[in-house]
Amino acid sequence: MRPLFALMWAGFIEARRNRITVVVAAFAACLILLTTVVLNSTVFTLGRAVTDFGLGVMSFLMVGLTVFLSGGMLSSEIEKRTVFLIMSRPISRPRFVLGRYLGTVLTLTTLMAVMVVLYLSQLFFFEVPVTSAIPAALVGLWVELALIAAMGFFFSSFTSRIVSAISVVGLYFLGHAAPDVHQLSLYAKSEVVQAAARVLYRIIPNLDALDFRSEAAWGASVQASDVLIASATAAGWTLVFLVGAALAFSRRDFR
Amino acid sequence: MTTPAVECIGLEKTYRLGFLANRKVLALRGVSFTVNPGEVFGLIGPNGAGKSTTIKILLNLVLNDRGHARMFGVDVSNPASRRGLGFVPESPVPYEYLSAREYVSLQYELAQLPPADRHAEVERVLARVELGDAAALPIRRYSKGMVQRAMLAGALIGRPRVVILDEPTSGLDPLGRRLVSDIILDLRRSGVAVLFCTHLLSDVESLCDRVALLVSGSIRKEGTMASLLSGAQRSHEIMVEPASAELPAEVSGLCESSERVGQHVLLRVADERLQAALAKLIGAGVKVLRVQPLRVSLEATFLEAMKGAPTRVGGELE
Repeated sequence: MRPLFALMWAGFIEARRNRITVVVAAFAACLILLTTVVLNSTVFTLGRAVTDFGLGVMSFLMVGLTVFLSGGMLSSEIEKRTVFLIMSRPISRPRFVLGRYLGTVLTLTTLMAVMVVLYLSQLFFFEVPVTSAIPAALVGLWVELALIAAMGFFFSSFTSRIVSAISVVGLYFLGHAAPDVHQLSLYAKSEVVQAAARVLYRIIPNLDALDFRSEAAWGASVQASDVLIASATAAGWTLVFLVGAALAFSRRDFR
Repeated sequence: MTTPAVECIGLEKTYRLGFLANRKVLALRGVSFTVNPGEVFGLIGPNGAGKSTTIKILLNLVLNDRGHARMFGVDVSNPASRRGLGFVPESPVPYEYLSAREYVSLQYELAQLPPADRHAEVERVLARVELGDAAALPIRRYSKGMVQRAMLAGALIGRPRVVILDEPTSGLDPLGRRLVSDIILDLRRSGVAVLFCTHLLSDVESLCDRVALLVSGSIRKEGTMASLLSGAQRSHEIMVEPASAELPAEVSGLCESSERVGQHVLLRVADERLQAALAKLIGAGVKVLRVQPLRVSLEATFLEAMKGAPTRVGGELE
């Protein structure tokens, strides 16, 4: 466990010193901007605007950061040859992948925790009630980030940073369009399209199932079982991508 | 019989390049050598000869197609083979936001050494490479020589049993080169096996017990420094002061070359003709000022071994 923890911690320190914290500053700036706008205008549904905007900005920034951090993680380790220094120790390649992944998740978790504190402070400032859907939306976002990071690791284990980032972004949008793909598999006029949509629906992770933002904005209730099922499914996908990343990484020549 | 620290038997490797992996580059063809504990072994050769590929196979960074590579009897595909290994790559790019102290601590943790000794061991190796106060600075602020020292500190952590150095003196000033040489000699004295890969033949001559010359993916020559150099033609230089402008014809016939240096003449004579040449010179009344054996350099041996090798060697992959 010590090498795993050491790799995770080194990844976290690297990310923290690489001015990643600027993302939190961007989030804080967006919240201040929103505050100014709201205080200078008459908004009928103030609570909804504050809740939705904060979650939306947090999601946008964190997803972008996750793609940036994970999309080139393994490929840049190979390009920069930092992997040579780590692999000269008794570390297996899957363990290396896992250590770097946990470091990325630790970085994302820390940044998100700071953002959540800022966000909840703003809700408190505007006296917006915290419904059960808000924690559900935050948990859903965190699980989604962990899954996107695993996708990034998977693609960067065998492609370059740019190809990996494009692939992750593509899969992200497909994942959020999963319900539409499902509809297509049921109601498309062409049977070929139906069959293709059925296959696609099965091979893409349903990221929409983790999105509870609209429920949070509308103050709707969210069942704990819905969050648990969506999170467990996403955890399964995360495992699949990580195993894929470890397998691809284990078979590569680091020229 | 002692288990070799490093053992390569018939290593073969072909890289497959291109989008469809249909372009092949033959990097190694049957490379075999061993490095024993307490021995400094030099792996030399031109660019693209396969030195880096050999080292990467030993570190399991590149997977060999055929043959076996072991460290202390453990196959390199097993991570346990890298227990007790120190490595300094060529032109290393470490995690640049970490300080040297943090980097060395990371190496300590990855080596899975006793937690209680970490602080003392980290400070010991940092002092050994003379990084001083700079150990607290992020590595991105270091000069190339300082990065090399930090990497060396990482390799020395936990008193390794085998150290692999890929161009360890490149980018170092004379003091840094002396430090690396001293460390290599210290390692040898303490029974550590050192596999040393370099282009600087002077370093190899002064540090290595045995050398393998790798050309186009196969070993052309291998042996102790003495045995490698003994095969080469030895010559002597004779400085003479001739009585007349010309040397006697029978003397000129015995010389490989002659060159006038002011009032003197510098002759070059093969080892087996030295006695005859001296006898003729003295007999002809020529004043012999100096006789000096010419040192056979590793470079001459290297160039000799390179004769007939393909002019374009193709394994270099960036």
